Amino acid sequence: MIHYLTDLNLRNKFLIWAGLLVCSFGLLASSLYYVHLRSILIQDALDTSEVILLEVESIREYVKEVLRPTISKLESRDTFVIEAMSSTFVSLNIMRRFNKKMPGYTFRRVSLNPLNPKNKADEFEDEMFSWFEDDRSRTLWRGIVPRKGRLSFVTMIPEYMEKSCLHCHGDVRQAPAELIKRYGTKGGFRFKEGDLAGINSISIPVASAFARIKRDAVVVFVAIQAGAALLLFLLHILFNRLVIQRLTHVSSSLLEENGEVRTDRDELDLLRQSVKTLSRYVTAARKGAGLQPNFIDSYIIGPPITAGTLSWLYEGHREQNNEKVSIKIGFNEILSNPLYATCLRAELKILRSVQHECIPEIIEQKGDTLIMEPMAGTDLGDWMQSTRNRGAARKAILAQLCDLTATLHVGGIVHHDLRPEIFLILEKEREYILKITDMGLASWRGIPDVILSSGLGPQGDFRYMAPELILGTRDDPRSDIYTLGVLLYRMFTGAMPFERRNATIKTWLTLKREARPSFTRGQGLSPQLERIISKAMAGRRGKRYQWVEDLWEDLEKEI
Amino acid sequence: MRLAVFSDIHANLEALETVLNDAGAQSVHRWFCLGDIVGYGANPNQCIERIRALPKLNCLLGNHDAAAIWRYSPYAMTKDATQAILWTIDRLSKRNNAYLQQRPSTLAMGNMLFSHANPYNPEAYRYVINNKYAQRSFRATREQLLFVSHSHRPMIITRKNMFQTVFFPPTGSLTCDLSRKKRQIINCGSVGQPRDRDPRACYCILDTRQNTIEFRRLEYDYVRTGQKIKEAGLSDYLARRLAKGQ
Repeated sequence: MIHYLTDLNLRNKFLIWAGLLVCSFGLLASSLYYVHLRSILIQDALDTSEVILLEVESIREYVKEVLRPTISKLESRDTFVIEAMSSTFVSLNIMRRFNKKMPGYTFRRVSLNPLNPKNKADEFEDEMFSWFEDDRSRTLWRGIVPRKGRLSFVTMIPEYMEKSCLHCHGDVRQAPAELIKRYGTKGGFRFKEGDLAGINSISIPVASAFARIKRDAVVVFVAIQAGAALLLFLLHILFNRLVIQRLTHVSSSLLEENGEVRTDRDELDLLRQSVKTLSRYVTAARKGAGLQPNFIDSYIIGPPITAGTLSWLYEGHREQNNEKVSIKIGFNEILSNPLYATCLRAELKILRSVQHECIPEIIEQKGDTLIMEPMAGTDLGDWMQSTRNRGAARKAILAQLCDLTATLHVGGIVHHDLRPEIFLILEKEREYILKITDMGLASWRGIPDVILSSGLGPQGDFRYMAPELILGTRDDPRSDIYTLGVLLYRMFTGAMPFERRNATIKTWLTLKREARPSFTRGQGLSPQLERIISKAMAGRRGKRYQWVEDLWEDLEKEI
Repeated sequence: MRLAVFSDIHANLEALETVLNDAGAQSVHRWFCLGDIVGYGANPNQCIERIRALPKLNCLLGNHDAAAIWRYSPYAMTKDATQAILWTIDRLSKRNNAYLQQRPSTLAMGNMLFSHANPYNPEAYRYVINNKYAQRSFRATREQLLFVSHSHRPMIITRKNMFQTVFFPPTGSLTCDLSRKKRQIINCGSVGQPRDRDPRACYCILDTRQNTIEFRRLEYDYVRTGQKIKEAGLSDYLARRLAKGQ
């Protein structure tokens, strides 16, 4: 069972556990509700019984203290008007009339040795006599027991023989003749003072009330389940939209490793593993060329040229004819990371989807390795720093860069990482040719955006990233325009517009939204060029150049 | 950024060449074809190849293109259109067929949305020629500017409010200012078979910096186009209508 549960995907796990929680909550709530109502019912019954018993006791006392003495004074000592002088008779008859009006309440006064056989204790009451006799300090008993086939709340109080009662219930020879004539001598006599003479009890049927509260508890349970099911359904939709659909892009690739479908982990487990492996990769990649392999298929690997987001670019040549190539490789350690492998495959698809002179020609693809045209050159970052690369050369490179960016945007591709380090400058016949080596963070409208779906957050170099990209909004071409602005700033000033060490995302956002890039005198920038760079780097997308072509149009006039 | 928007070429190579040469001379940066490259005319493959060669091009699938690749029934069209599509299907190269197969029916670019017929149900191919369908188009989308074609009549539709739209049919070559606040639908007209009684090929250039739309009408050799249609064995009417702009 547990093995089955762990094998389920994230959505099913969520539904099962949430369903169990909801059921448990429903059970708990309805149980508490039932217990609460029951306790209220019992308290009500108790209060009512207490009132009635006190009333009966009052009647008996009145008979003993008022009626009996008064009649005794008026009549002879032998006269016994049972209807007025017997506290039992009076109280029983009053309560009988009471019972007719209030059929829910049943008063009984019983004895083990009653005068009137009708008042003999039944089996249960017999037991209660024993209970009271066992401990004379017991003055009250209450409980829920079946009485006459109905579940009833019963309150009982014992009554002990008093001296004043012994006239009728003591020595039979001294009892009033009226009593003997009415009831005989079989029972109701031979009591002594202090004997447990009888038990007064009041029964209130509670079966229907209990049934009602049980029904109410069930209704509460069902209502809670229905409400919770609705809430669970809505949460499921929300969870599906916010989490599952975004994970699906990644999980469909993550669940296939080397052609096998893996079902023993859910999406979050795979992502967790991917992030761990990715962090190991980043550490390993920083060590550099130590990871260089020797050959791939019929290609010999040479020294590394440059590093991309998730891969290295190596020089290489074909074994048979020494034909030079460049080889883009993802490391085994990284390729075994499902998330990286998915990102790399997306990058390869994007590279194949668009054609431009600045995109290296792909000779062939070997699994996750790309064999491309040879690219031996300097990366744009280093090239920009060289003092001889000014003027016409710079203009030619920028023209290619803007044209490439525009072509990518027309093709529905947003690069998201147009740093100088991913471009190589090749020198051919006194002309500078720009080549792009990496598109690891690009998005394309033709395929799902894996980086967005994986929820990893902003990826890339924060110094170059547009504010909206830092916030996680991808697929807006104006983000690339922002990066081009930063690149231009670096190209023309030699420095970065914003540089912070160990800054948080919030700090970067504040900086990029509110601060303007500063230009110092002596850098040789015209006010117009400063304006162009500032506009390209506008924090708000609406204030930025909307199209790369417009940026280039203005730039072309100035440089 | 200057964007050339053209549509409804209908295999009319003469009109297409004229339009593309003119747009090239206007220093456009990007190209957008709203579909219906084939159908009616005699040069479907040449027109597709000519369009494919354009740099920075986006191209949509029109209803005639869809019919040529059997994604839309040719028999749902008029008799002449059906005949032309069946003729086209027999001659369309595999490469061009594959190209058409990959065309989307609608595409967004910045604050603009492009569709062949309408943006609310692109593959139903209904015209946007009255207030009802114009409002439906606005309601179904969020972009500031919507580009459509299909009716072969250039038009600028401005949304006054939720209930009213204003229709403006530009005549001849004309540059109009676009509204910065109100949403608009632009029908770029037809390159290969205009139907607004002006036989000249029609296309438009959007200038995002000036915020203008320029409709351009160009003379082309429709006689030659008509002759080709007849030589191909297609209906005479398709040749005759070119001269009338109907």
